[in-house]
Amino acid sequence: MNPVIPAPVPVPLPAPPWLLEFLLVFTFILHILAMNFLLGGVIVVTVSGFLGRRDSRHRELRRRVSRALPPVTAFTITLGVAPLLFLQLVYGQLYYTSSDFMAWYWLAVVLLVLVGYYCIYYYQLQYEEIGTGPPWVMLATAILLVLVAFLFVQNITSMLHPQDFYRLFLSGQVGTILGSVTSVNIARLAHFVVAAVALAGLGIALLSQRWRVDSPDLAAWGRRYGVTWFMGGTLVQFLVGLWFLFSLPVEVRQSLIGEKLAVGLLASGLFLALLALVTAPSSLAVSSVAILGTVSVMAVLRHWVRLAYLRPYFDPRSLPVRGQWAVFFLFVALLLAGLATVGWMLFVFYRPSARRA
Amino acid sequence: MNYPIWEPLVFGGGLVIGIIAILHVFVSHFAVGGGLFLTLTERKAYRENSPALLEYVKSHSKFFVLVVLVFGAVSGVGIWWSISLVNPEATATLIHVFVWGWAIEWVFFIVEIAAAFIYYYGWDRLDPKTHLRVGWIYFGAAWASLLVINGILTFMLTPGRWIETPTFAAAYFNPGMVPSLVVRTAVCIALAGVYALLTSASIPEPALRSAVVGYAAKWLLAGTVIIPFAGIWYISTLPASAREISMGGAPAVTIFAGLSIFFSALVMAFAYFGPHRRPRQFNAVFAFLLAVLALSTTAVTEWVREAVRKPYIIYGYMYSNGMRVADLGSIQAAGTLKSARWVRRHEVDPKALERTGEEIYRVQCASCHTVDGYNSIRFAVKGWSWSMIDYQLAHLSSLKGYMPGFVGTEAERQALGAWLVTLNPLPADITIQPEASAAGSQATETMGKGVSQP
Repeated sequence: MNPVIPAPVPVPLPAPPWLLEFLLVFTFILHILAMNFLLGGVIVVTVSGFLGRRDSRHRELRRRVSRALPPVTAFTITLGVAPLLFLQLVYGQLYYTSSDFMAWYWLAVVLLVLVGYYCIYYYQLQYEEIGTGPPWVMLATAILLVLVAFLFVQNITSMLHPQDFYRLFLSGQVGTILGSVTSVNIARLAHFVVAAVALAGLGIALLSQRWRVDSPDLAAWGRRYGVTWFMGGTLVQFLVGLWFLFSLPVEVRQSLIGEKLAVGLLASGLFLALLALVTAPSSLAVSSVAILGTVSVMAVLRHWVRLAYLRPYFDPRSLPVRGQWAVFFLFVALLLAGLATVGWMLFVFYRPSARRA
Repeated sequence: MNYPIWEPLVFGGGLVIGIIAILHVFVSHFAVGGGLFLTLTERKAYRENSPALLEYVKSHSKFFVLVVLVFGAVSGVGIWWSISLVNPEATATLIHVFVWGWAIEWVFFIVEIAAAFIYYYGWDRLDPKTHLRVGWIYFGAAWASLLVINGILTFMLTPGRWIETPTFAAAYFNPGMVPSLVVRTAVCIALAGVYALLTSASIPEPALRSAVVGYAAKWLLAGTVIIPFAGIWYISTLPASAREISMGGAPAVTIFAGLSIFFSALVMAFAYFGPHRRPRQFNAVFAFLLAVLALSTTAVTEWVREAVRKPYIIYGYMYSNGMRVADLGSIQAAGTLKSARWVRRHEVDPKALERTGEEIYRVQCASCHTVDGYNSIRFAVKGWSWSMIDYQLAHLSSLKGYMPGFVGTEAERQALGAWLVTLNPLPADITIQPEASAAGSQATETMGKGVSQP
C-alpha cells in the first residue's frame, strides 16, 4: 500500500532544498551544542548536588555553573527555532502529521520546558540568596529535560516512517498516539543524553579556566572534574553509538556503511572523538575543536540517516522552487550584522577592564 | 483535509491557540516596550543623578528577565507549536511564504537575548555609557522582531496583492501592516507602563515610589492615547466583511469588540485618576487589578482580531478549516471523503451514515467546533430538525457569513446532517410535522432518533 502523506502546499520553496538542508543541519549543530551544555550541565549539577553535598569545591562549582545555565537555556530554545523552521519548510508534510498524532504530548514539550526553565532560575537565585541550591530541583529539571528529549526523539523518528502513518491513524485518537518506543528510539535518546553529559563536562572544564585568576585551586579542580565527565561520557558514547548504529533498520545502516562518503564521515567522526578523548587532559583547545568536528560530522550523518529512511517515500528535490533571493541576502546580511553586534557586546562584557568603579 | 485533525477535548483548537497567544502577546509587547522603559529610565537616573532610581531600574530588570526571557520566549514557541498542531496547512503556507522573514526575526531574537543577558549581568561590569548602549541594542532588536512578525500576522487578515502577485514583498507589505505596527508599538509602550506600575508599587521609600508610579503612569497613558487613533486607521484597512462581523454581523464578536473599547477606556480612566493623579495612594493591589484589566483588554482585542478573519484563516485564500479557496471546485466534485486523507472510509456508507457524518464533521468543522465544549456543535444544532440542518448546511456560507460553506457531495452533506441530528435526542412526545418543501417522501420527521435519510 502506498503511504498516506499529505500533499505539499502549492507555494514553491523559497530556495533550493540543498540550501535549506544546509541551513537545517548548520543551525541544528548550533542548537545541539547549546542543548548539550544545558541538559548535560543540569545532569552534572544534579549528580554533584547529591554526591558532593558536603564538599565546598562542589558547592562553589555548582554555584558558578548554575549561573551560566539560564543564558544557556535561552540560547538552546532560540537556537532551536531555526532548525525547526527549516525542518517544517522541507519536511512539513511529515513533521506536521507525526506531531498531530502525538499532539497532546508534543504540546506538553512547551510546558515541560517552561517549568524546567523556571526551576533553573529558582535554583540559581537560591544560590544567590542563601548560598546553596536544593539538589532535588535540579533532579526534577533533569527529568523534565530528558522527557523533552524523549518526546523529540519520538516525534522526529516517527516522521521518518510515513508508511506507518495510516496504521497509526487507525490505532487511536489523533493527539494521543505516541507511537511505539522502539530500541532505535531508546538508543537514539541514550546517544543524545550521553553526548550531552560529555559535552557539558568539557564545557565545565572550559568554564573553570575563567576562574584561574580569582580561585586557582577551584579552576584546577574544576578542570579535572569536567574532563573526567567528558572522558567518561565519551567512552560510554562509543558503546552507545554502536548500539544506535546496529539498532537502525538494515536498509538504513547499509546506506551508511555501503557509501564511501558516509563511511569516511563516520570514520572521521570517530577519529576526532578519539583525538578529543586523548587530548582532553593536556589541551582543552585541541580537544574542543576535535569534538566540535565530531558533533558537526555526526549532525551531517544524522541528516544522511533521515534521507535514507525517507528515500522510498519522499524526496525534497521533487518540490517546486522559486527563490526569494533578495530577502535571503537580507537575512544573510542581518545575520552577519547581528553576530557582529553580539560579538561586540561579548567583547565589552568580558574585556578585563570591564568592571565598574 | 490534508492533515490529521486533532480535537483537543472541550477546548477546541482555537481556544488552545487563544490561551497561549493571549498570554504571549501580553508578555511579548512588554518585551519590546519594557526594553525602552529600562533604557530611558536608566538614562533618567543618570541625568538626575539618582542612585535610588537606578536601584529600582536594576530590580525591574531582574523582573523583566524572569518574565520576558523565560515566559515570553517559551510561550512564543508555544504559539508556533499550537498553530502547527491545530492548523498545519496554514502554518505550512505561512512558512513557505515567510521563511526568510522568520529567519530574520530569529537573528533579532539572538541579538535580543544576548543583549538582555549582558544588560542584566552587566550592571556591575559595564560603564554607564556602554550599559545604556546595550539597552538600546536590546530595544532595537526587540522592536525589529515585532516589525517582522507584525507583517506576517496582518498578512493573514489582509493579504492584499499577494493573492495575485505571490512574492515576499507583496505578502509582507500588506495593507494592515503599517497601521498594525503603530497600534502594537503603542501597546508596547502602554504595557511597559503597566508592568512598571506592578514593580514600582512595592518600592519601600514613599517619595521614590510616588515619583516612579507617576512616571510609569505616563507611559501607560501615552500608549493608550495613541491606540484608538491607530486602531481606527487599522480597522479602515480591513476587508468590509470583517468590519461587518465586528459591528453587528456576529453578536458575540460585536460584544467583544465593545468590551475591547470599554476595557481600554477603563484602563485609561484608572491610569489617569489613579497612579497619574494620586501616585501616593497607589498600591500593589491597584497595580495588580490594572494589570488584570490590561490583560483582559489584550484578550478580547486579540480574540476579535482572530474572529473577524472568519471564515478564513488567510483572507480570501484559505478557510479556517484549511481548505484553499482554489481547491473548492475539485473537492466539491470528488467529495470530501475522497479528498480527505485522514478518514476511515472514502465513500458514504449507507449502513454507517452517522459515523460517516462524524468523519465529515471532523474534516470540515472540527478546526473551529468541538462537540461539547468551546463553540459546541451539539449546542449549535439544538432543536434543529433534519430538514433545518440540511437547509443550513446547503446554504451555510450565505446564511452564516463567518462560516465556510459546506463542500462535498449531496450524499456527504446528508450524512453530516444525519450525524448532527443524533446529537440532541428529543423527548419522545415531541414530533415535528414534515415540511412540504424539504421533506419529500418523509411522512413524519423525528429528531434525535438517528434518522438516517431524507
